[in-house]
Amino acid sequence: MTEADAAIRHQDPEADRALDALHALAGPLFDALVKSGVAVTVTDPRRDDDPIVYVNAAFESLTGYSAREAVGRNCRFLQDAATDREMVAFIAEGLRRDGAVTADILNRRRDGAPFWNRLNITTLRDADGAPAYRFATQADVTGEYTDEVVVEQLRVSRQRLAEAQERLRVAQAIAGAAGAWEWDIAAGTLVADVRFANLYGLDPVEAAQGLPTSAFFAPVHADDRLRLKIAVAGALNGAEVFTRDYRVVRNGVVHWVSARGRTYLDDNDNPVRFSGVLADITDQKRVEEQLLVAQTAGGVGSFEYLSGYGTADVSEQFCQLLGLRPATSLPVRTINAVVHPDDPPIIQGRDGQHVFGPAFHEFRIRRADTGEERWLASRGEYRPHGTGGVSFIGVIYDITSTKRSEEQLRVLTETLEVRVAARTQERDRVWNLSRDLLHVIGPDGLYRAANPAWRTLLGYDEADLVGKPAGSLVHPDDHQAAMERFTVLSRGEAIGDFDCRMLAKDGTYLWVNWTAMPEGDAIYGIGRDVTQRKALEDQLRQSQKMEAVGQLTGGLAHDFNNMLTGILGGIDMVRRRIAEGRMGDVDRFLDAAMQSGQRAAALTHRLLAFSRRQTLDSRALDVGALTASMEDLLRRTLGEQVSLRIDIAPDLWPAVADDNQLESAILNLGINARDAMPDGGELIIAARNVHLTDRELADSDHAEAGDYVAISVTDTGTGMPPEVLQKVFDPFYTTKPLGQGTGLGLSMIYGFIQQSRGHVVIDSAEGEGTTIQLFLPRHQGAVEAVASIDDEFAPVGAGETVLVIEDDAAVRLLVMQVLEELGYQGIETADGRQAVPILESSRHIDLLISDVGLPGLNGRQLAEIARERRPGLPILFMTGYAKQAADQAAFLEGGMEIIGKPFAIEQLGRRIGEILRRETS
Amino acid sequence: MTTQSILLDDLERDALTELVNIGVSRAAANLRKMVGEQVLLSVPAVEVVTREGATTLIRERESGELVAVRQDFAGVFSGRALLIFPQSNSMALVHAVTGGALSVADAADMEDEALAETGNVVLNSCLATMANMLQRPLTMSLPEVIRGDGSKLFHLSPESSDGGVVLFLYINFAINDRDIRGYIAMLMDLPSLHALKGLIADFIERVVGDA
Repeated sequence: MTEADAAIRHQDPEADRALDALHALAGPLFDALVKSGVAVTVTDPRRDDDPIVYVNAAFESLTGYSAREAVGRNCRFLQDAATDREMVAFIAEGLRRDGAVTADILNRRRDGAPFWNRLNITTLRDADGAPAYRFATQADVTGEYTDEVVVEQLRVSRQRLAEAQERLRVAQAIAGAAGAWEWDIAAGTLVADVRFANLYGLDPVEAAQGLPTSAFFAPVHADDRLRLKIAVAGALNGAEVFTRDYRVVRNGVVHWVSARGRTYLDDNDNPVRFSGVLADITDQKRVEEQLLVAQTAGGVGSFEYLSGYGTADVSEQFCQLLGLRPATSLPVRTINAVVHPDDPPIIQGRDGQHVFGPAFHEFRIRRADTGEERWLASRGEYRPHGTGGVSFIGVIYDITSTKRSEEQLRVLTETLEVRVAARTQERDRVWNLSRDLLHVIGPDGLYRAANPAWRTLLGYDEADLVGKPAGSLVHPDDHQAAMERFTVLSRGEAIGDFDCRMLAKDGTYLWVNWTAMPEGDAIYGIGRDVTQRKALEDQLRQSQKMEAVGQLTGGLAHDFNNMLTGILGGIDMVRRRIAEGRMGDVDRFLDAAMQSGQRAAALTHRLLAFSRRQTLDSRALDVGALTASMEDLLRRTLGEQVSLRIDIAPDLWPAVADDNQLESAILNLGINARDAMPDGGELIIAARNVHLTDRELADSDHAEAGDYVAISVTDTGTGMPPEVLQKVFDPFYTTKPLGQGTGLGLSMIYGFIQQSRGHVVIDSAEGEGTTIQLFLPRHQGAVEAVASIDDEFAPVGAGETVLVIEDDAAVRLLVMQVLEELGYQGIETADGRQAVPILESSRHIDLLISDVGLPGLNGRQLAEIARERRPGLPILFMTGYAKQAADQAAFLEGGMEIIGKPFAIEQLGRRIGEILRRETS
Repeated sequence: MTTQSILLDDLERDALTELVNIGVSRAAANLRKMVGEQVLLSVPAVEVVTREGATTLIRERESGELVAVRQDFAGVFSGRALLIFPQSNSMALVHAVTGGALSVADAADMEDEALAETGNVVLNSCLATMANMLQRPLTMSLPEVIRGDGSKLFHLSPESSDGGVVLFLYINFAINDRDIRGYIAMLMDLPSLHALKGLIADFIERVVGDA
């Protein structure tokens, strides 16, 4: 950016925009032109009075006006009263009609100096063909007009010369003659008349009487004296013709005189007398001198030609311009021979036939000396001469540089138009052919334009979109993020690499990756269809998950094998002891087997929690009481170095959650906190009531605005860096050494809380400890005192009939055994095929116990069949893994219950008893 | 005109011009006697140029065929003198010097003879006067008429290949008020020019001392 650019940008935001637009329209060509040294102005015809919006440095140096002074004004500020109004009108008319015009106009520089400005104006049009900018180059062609002045000067000079000569003749006529002298060679005396004496500053009387010949040289200017002496010596020695112009100094004033003399010989051809006349030619010399200076300084060569003659009188400068040796007269053929064969000759009208009047033409020559090609112009006037003849007096001058810059300008201007057109076309092509979505959004946030890719990709025509609010097609889940990006754009910043789903006309969604930038008051956006990429990403994620599952499965198989070894080994040992009749230590092996089995059950429970598909036993819960009951356990777990503080708000609401899971979560967090405080510290467990808004729950999957019980676990430990914080809920992510942590702890807590429709917030910074807050939804109403019946024995039945459907023979055997022992009458079936006939029969059934996952008809379907025949039949489902069971309300109808596998025999018995007791009551 | 300025300064050129003027005046006097007509000859300027320069000069100024009278001279300075006219002017000169007494056919027959004689008078007077003025003797060969362009006229004899100079003089013939323009060219080698230069210096010294 030149200094001028900077100045304008600083000054005028319009100019700023214009400059950018010009760069966009003409690109590097504009820069090239601006830097070419050609004066350039750009005006904006769309604005009032077509003001200048840009001038380059060359313009500043041409006119003397700085960019700051010029910008914002109409170009006419360069004009003045002397400017030809008709030419101004001509320019205006040309611009109106063609949008382009070339004209010479008389302008004035800042210092008032006039110059001829050759304007070359082109109009750059916008896409609609309306004038957008006018681009004008300016060239000082005063030289060409000065030459006119020189011609005029030449004419005036010649006139004055003629007048001077006329005056001289008149003076001579009146005086009788110019000063005359007679030099007697033999006697060595000089006799001169009064006028000679006057010219030479001699005493007239003495001159008339005769002076020594040295008087002829006495007043002569020192520079001319020697040459005059030589010339006179020639005359005295017999050279008959004497012609000399020289200076004499009279009273300190220099005068030019012209001496014309003859030498007269005697019969023997010996010189006897040298006489002549002397005239004052000071005026004439001065005019000639001026003429010479004018011609030499202006590089102007003059010539004079009379038709019928083979030669023309020429000036020395004339010869120099053509590369000819200096001469005062040259053959016309020689002069015209240097002219390019395709161009008109310099001297025309040799036949005396030529239109009278001013003549101007331009032509190329090949210089006679160097062979170089130059452009010259000839300007002169043909006048009648004598009878039927023509005189042609004129000048020639070099216009090569003007021609070259004209040519450059022409080429630049022509290519400018072509390039602008090409760029526009190129831009349109990109717009139309792009496979990416391109659009323009106005400052009002509405679509202004959309390219055809919108139709190809999403099915919308431009007409469908224009006027619609941007963002209306964004997927609701992405809408907020999209609006945030839009806010960034409205601030004038660009955005890139933003993915969101866009609604296609057929109702499907495509993933689109957006890049957008604000320009002026509009936002330009490019969107690329990345649906396929997203699909691939999902696949990748899925395969990563599968890999994780593989790892997990391997680990679980290992654990389960250990536990199974404990169970099977224990049972095997019991069987041997029984066979051997050694019943003494049977209990020991059974306890071991039982423990292994319970560990296995706990593991599967945790896994289900992790998969968020566990069957949560959520109910109203007093968080304060639960926490208090854990205090002993926590103190033991934390050790002596960590102090524990429990801080429960007095009026704490009841929460809804699975108490076992919450216990496990608090313990897990406590252990994490301990590990974060290797050198000791304080753990604070607090609970309080909070109200969460949608805004605060933005990151949550299931939580809704409302009242929550917040349980916070705060430590004074090492804290976590942001990159760890980002991943803490990821499964298998652990900061603990290999083998010391499963990486499932926080992930499971997350799963539990999410499933409980709660929310988790982690707040940690390196070195500043960690606070984890668990938000559990408030329970509306009082906490029912749940009677613990764990310790009760299962009630005994009274021969009620229970239909059992279980495909696993071992489980079936177990269930049948329990029923028998508790005094029920069991009917044993393995699947729907066996069960349906019984259900459809008239046989009395008090309870249906069914597995959920069965071959053929599943448990839920069997239940429906049963309810058709026997509405109100109580049903108890057994399940080890039931997706439906996770949300019991949706799965179960009235009179249906569910029990998770594995279950203790006592537990099953109690459930059966409860159901049947309820039925009977 | 570097060559020129090195070889002869302004004053020397003036002096040479005057010497030639004295010579052509003698020639004019002789012609007057020969033809009984008013004849005036003058030399307004002299240039010293190379042979190539002379060729260019004459080509630029005279586009047609040229006719020349040639005489070799030898002495303290040696070379070849040429009196050159445009072909178109030579017949006019013949007419002028023969006073129009001859028919066109006779004049054509006599053209070379008349030219040779005129040339002899002019060149002889010129060189003789110069020799006289310079107080050195010169011998002259017989005149010879040649025709051709500049390069042919200025082609010196093969033995002088040192790139000598040409004293190039304009000469105006005013015969019976008719102006005929022509050129006198003196081709000489550098030693001869050097000798001439010495003689001119002597002349200047005498003239300056004179007055």
